[in-house]
Amino acid sequence: MEKQQDSDAANAETVVGPSVKIQGDLNSEGNIRIEGQVNGKVKTTQNVFVGQSAKITADVLAGNATVSGEIVGNIKVTGNLILQTTAKVSGDISCAILRVEDGAVFTGKCSMGTMADKTKHAPEPEPEN
Amino acid sequence: MLLVPCLLLHDSMYYYILDPGKMSLPKFEQVQVELQGLLHEFNISGEFARITTLRTVADLVDVAAARGASTVIVCGNDDTLNQVLAAVGQRDFLIGFIPLDPQSSYLATILGLPNLLTSVKTIAARRIVTIDTATINQLSFISFLEFGVTSNNFSQTGPWKTFQLLSKSATKWTLKIDNSYTLTIQGLGGLVLNSRSTSSKQEKIANPTDGFLDVLVMEEIGKLDIFKYKELIAQGRLEELPNPTIIKCKTVELLEPRGSVVTMFGRAVAKFPAVVSMTGKKQRMIVGKQRTF
Repeated sequence: MEKQQDSDAANAETVVGPSVKIQGDLNSEGNIRIEGQVNGKVKTTQNVFVGQSAKITADVLAGNATVSGEIVGNIKVTGNLILQTTAKVSGDISCAILRVEDGAVFTGKCSMGTMADKTKHAPEPEPEN
Repeated sequence: MLLVPCLLLHDSMYYYILDPGKMSLPKFEQVQVELQGLLHEFNISGEFARITTLRTVADLVDVAAARGASTVIVCGNDDTLNQVLAAVGQRDFLIGFIPLDPQSSYLATILGLPNLLTSVKTIAARRIVTIDTATINQLSFISFLEFGVTSNNFSQTGPWKTFQLLSKSATKWTLKIDNSYTLTIQGLGGLVLNSRSTSSKQEKIANPTDGFLDVLVMEEIGKLDIFKYKELIAQGRLEELPNPTIIKCKTVELLEPRGSVVTMFGRAVAKFPAVVSMTGKKQRMIVGKQRTF
């Protein structure tokens, strides 16, 4: 899975270089790799890779996310969230699967589980007679 | 003065627009004779019209529409094809291209038309692809735009000039993407691609059938790496340089530095601020097997 994610990062459709500053909402339909600064929302249904030099002051919504840089904002992913050694996250996170590597810093609330789990555990509606 | 025959043949489906451009008269006559021979051989003759000072590209496209031609074949250079694309507007023509000097044509490379014979064969084979068209300040294009140092043709610059250009300090560029966010970058220059004249490992970039433009910006490169990356820069494969920036979008506003020149094949077409956007129109074009997309 990690190899697949590395390949996705290398072939990301949107790449924000280290000297780039973005102000506003970054929406994409493909994979996003961020090495620069973003002030605004980051949104994609695919994968987001936040590089070591990246600084995001915004909410991140994505399919999967791998974070090595700094995020000040909430992260909401439908799949996997990986906080790598150099990651610094200040905000709430919501994901299906979470992996936090040694050295990663996370301050905030965390909620996990898929929508499927939620509906599975939800009480059955009473049948109408 | 050369008189171009204006013949309405039995098969008037093809309307040929001829543009000698800056070609010398003897050379143009020679190419034209060769072209007419090939068109006759492949049985794709049609009506011919030559661009003159009195008959502009727009006039000839109007004539083609009035004659009920369904296919317009542009015989000229890259400028001629861009002008025809602009003049066609929302009309539904099938467009073909026969570059009269393929060696100096980027669009010939993009569309897979390396020489006159292949171009004519391609027209006869009618391999049709719908291609996105983009505009910058009312100029339609299917290729790419350059700004900053990328406006230079690095395949023709010598080592000293290359070193001078690529060792410059970075400029702060400001672009607005899809009316959604503003991007500022310290870089040497960049490209706005619909298609390009080189293929790349990244097939998703510069695909003129995906409905998107690709903005590539190059950051400063170390002086020791200049010659290592010269070839990639000359080919416009900026995504393979270190620290690339790649943005896929439908509209890009080129905001600052104001007055910076935007070029197409090294020729100035606009200045910052300028808006580049997809028109949303899919242009049907006849393309060769060796096209870059």
